[in-house]
Amino acid sequence: MKIDVLFGTETGNAEMLAEDIQSALESEHDVTCRDLADVDPAELDGESFAVIVCSTYGEGELPSSARPFAEKLDAGSYDLSALRFAMFGLGDAEYSKTFTHGSKTLAEKLQAKGAVQVGERVTHDASSGDAPEDVALPWITDIVAQVA
Amino acid sequence: MKAKVAIVGSGPSGCYAAQALLKAAPDLQVDIIDALPVPFGLVRYGVASDHQGTKAVSRQFSRIFERQGAGFFGNVRIGQDISLATLRSAYDAVILAAGLSADRKLGIPGDTLPGVYGSAALTRALHEHPEADALPDLGSAPVIVGNGNVAIDLLRVLAKTADELHGSDLGPGPTAWLAANRFETLTVIGRSPAGKAKFDPVMVRELAKLTNVTIDVAGVHSSEDEEERKRLEALSEIHGHAKGSTRIIFRFGLQLRSVEGTDRVSGLKVASAEGEEIIPASSILTAIGFQSSGDFDREALLSAAEPDASGKLAENLFAAGWFWRGPRGTIPDSRTEAQALATRLLEEISPNPDREGSHIFAGLRDVVDYTGWQKIDSAELAAAAPNRCRQKLAGKNELLRVAGEQETNS
Ligand SMILES: Cc1cc2nc3c(=O)[nH]c(=O)nc-3n(C[C@H](O)[C@H](O)[C@H](O)COP(=O)(O)OP(=O)(O)OC[C@H]3O[C@@H](n4cnc5c(N)ncnc54)[C@H](O)[C@@H]3O)c2cc1C
Ligand SMILES: Cc1cc2nc3c(=O)[nH]c(=O)nc-3n(C[C@H](O)[C@H](O)[C@H](O)COP(=O)(O)O)c2cc1C
Repeated sequence: MKIDVLFGTETGNAEMLAEDIQSALESEHDVTCRDLADVDPAELDGESFAVIVCSTYGEGELPSSARPFAEKLDAGSYDLSALRFAMFGLGDAEYSKTFTHGSKTLAEKLQAKGAVQVGERVTHDASSGDAPEDVALPWITDIVAQVA
Repeated sequence: MKAKVAIVGSGPSGCYAAQALLKAAPDLQVDIIDALPVPFGLVRYGVASDHQGTKAVSRQFSRIFERQGAGFFGNVRIGQDISLATLRSAYDAVILAAGLSADRKLGIPGDTLPGVYGSAALTRALHEHPEADALPDLGSAPVIVGNGNVAIDLLRVLAKTADELHGSDLGPGPTAWLAANRFETLTVIGRSPAGKAKFDPVMVRELAKLTNVTIDVAGVHSSEDEEERKRLEALSEIHGHAKGSTRIIFRFGLQLRSVEGTDRVSGLKVASAEGEEIIPASSILTAIGFQSSGDFDREALLSAAEPDASGKLAENLFAAGWFWRGPRGTIPDSRTEAQALATRLLEEISPNPDREGSHIFAGLRDVVDYTGWQKIDSAELAAAAPNRCRQKLAGKNELLRVAGEQETNS
């Protein structure tokens, strides 16, 4: 299967996790890994399954590398109904009211253009002391098994 | 052939530069040198002990050494143990990412009186930096001067109860020191009006979680500017928060006149439209910016920089982070800028096989390599008390001892 791992990040944690996901999947799948900053929504034609990792900044906002993508998405009339995606959120539970809102917002924006989310949006709490890959790899392995 | 790059400083800008360089050019030899026996700069010794989420970037930084092949040379002070000239002749390029670790002075009469402490010195002491002074007695009414995130970090930690520090890495010494303090008031003074204060609204709102404080904000005005409005809104929200006995007072738009006191601080004379007044102070904590520690002649180095603002100082010499830009900007800024710098450097570098690289450190005593840091890291994690995530080893000798321990084959 073709898998496009996309990350939205501010300080690089989402990028590191995206690379881990790529490494974990690439023995069995054809996997690319890209920054959302380099992605145009029109490219998401559904040929690849999208795995998105996105953090949260400010007060529940998107991280800087996801912002241009989200702005394009909002402004354009895209039909993403062929796209299936999974969403993983990075955040910090210290920000209790806006915990992982970045990934939540991004999933909603994609769905608003017709994209279909597969599986639950799972999250990582930076204050928990858990390694993000310990949470994300079992999650994505399950989802990919469902989709493939 | 491998080109060799030396990075002076293992804080966020040095680490992000190494990460970007090795990502773009995995064959490069990148060596990160730090004056301290331990890596990560202000991530370890600046970022607040109760903001562990922010410190999580160090997991990325570890990979630079563990997977991307960078070398770590800790306990080596460039400008002292090795000259910058020697370093430059041994590497194809050098990046100065040494930060700005000295406190800026208030610059008003009385600013050298005992009882005036810089926030850099104080946060180092709170975070058990190996070169820190002892924690001072702040008395019952400290006044914090400054309106940046550093001022808020300091205020928040001083105001926290023991329970509120669960999960942090605040050490036993600083924890006992905090518990012994009996602050009646904590006053924060800004020179600019509230809307122009530099702190993040999120940092302000976090204060509303404190359980033992009453907050009083004076000088909130209205503004048309959106950024200003966000900050003012956050300040209005926390105004009136009444949960406990320590009084936090915010005041804005005050000109600083002089530090009052004969052999020790007793107050701060300020002026506003209403005239002059003396705010009583048992100590004054300055959080008004940082400057160069003096290991390098920063001014001379920067004055020779190329005008394109890319961080290039001279042939094969670059600067990054706070050392380059001044004491402004966050960890995300360090990342963006380091990535641009890495691109620029890679366009210019050409490897010269005659350069010695890390052999120049061979004759130095007590150099801590990455394995040495891993031993320190494991020891610190293992020693953590139940309500702490880590217990830092305090003091340079202790750090060096643990870094130098032999593996035991038991
Ligand atoms: C108290 C405090 C709290 C902060 N909290 C946050 C926060 O919560 N979030 C955020 O985004 N930003 C925060 N910041 C800002 C952030 O720390 C800086 O943006 C960032 O650390 C700048 O990185 P740097 O690499 O330039 O400097 P530093 O992190 O200062 O790293 C410089 C390194 O160089 C080493 N060095 C210095 N001189 C020499 C020498 N002569 N030879 C060899 N090595 C040397 C030092 O030991 C140090 O390890 C905070 C800053 C402070 C002061
Ligand atoms: C200034 C700041 C604001 C943040 N705001 C939020 C937030 O509102 N909600 C949240 O869940 N996490 C928040 N976080 C936590 C980050 O999302 C978390 O640290 C994440 O691991 C960062 O990933 P990144 O490096 O990919 O950007 C914030 C972190 C910082 C430093």
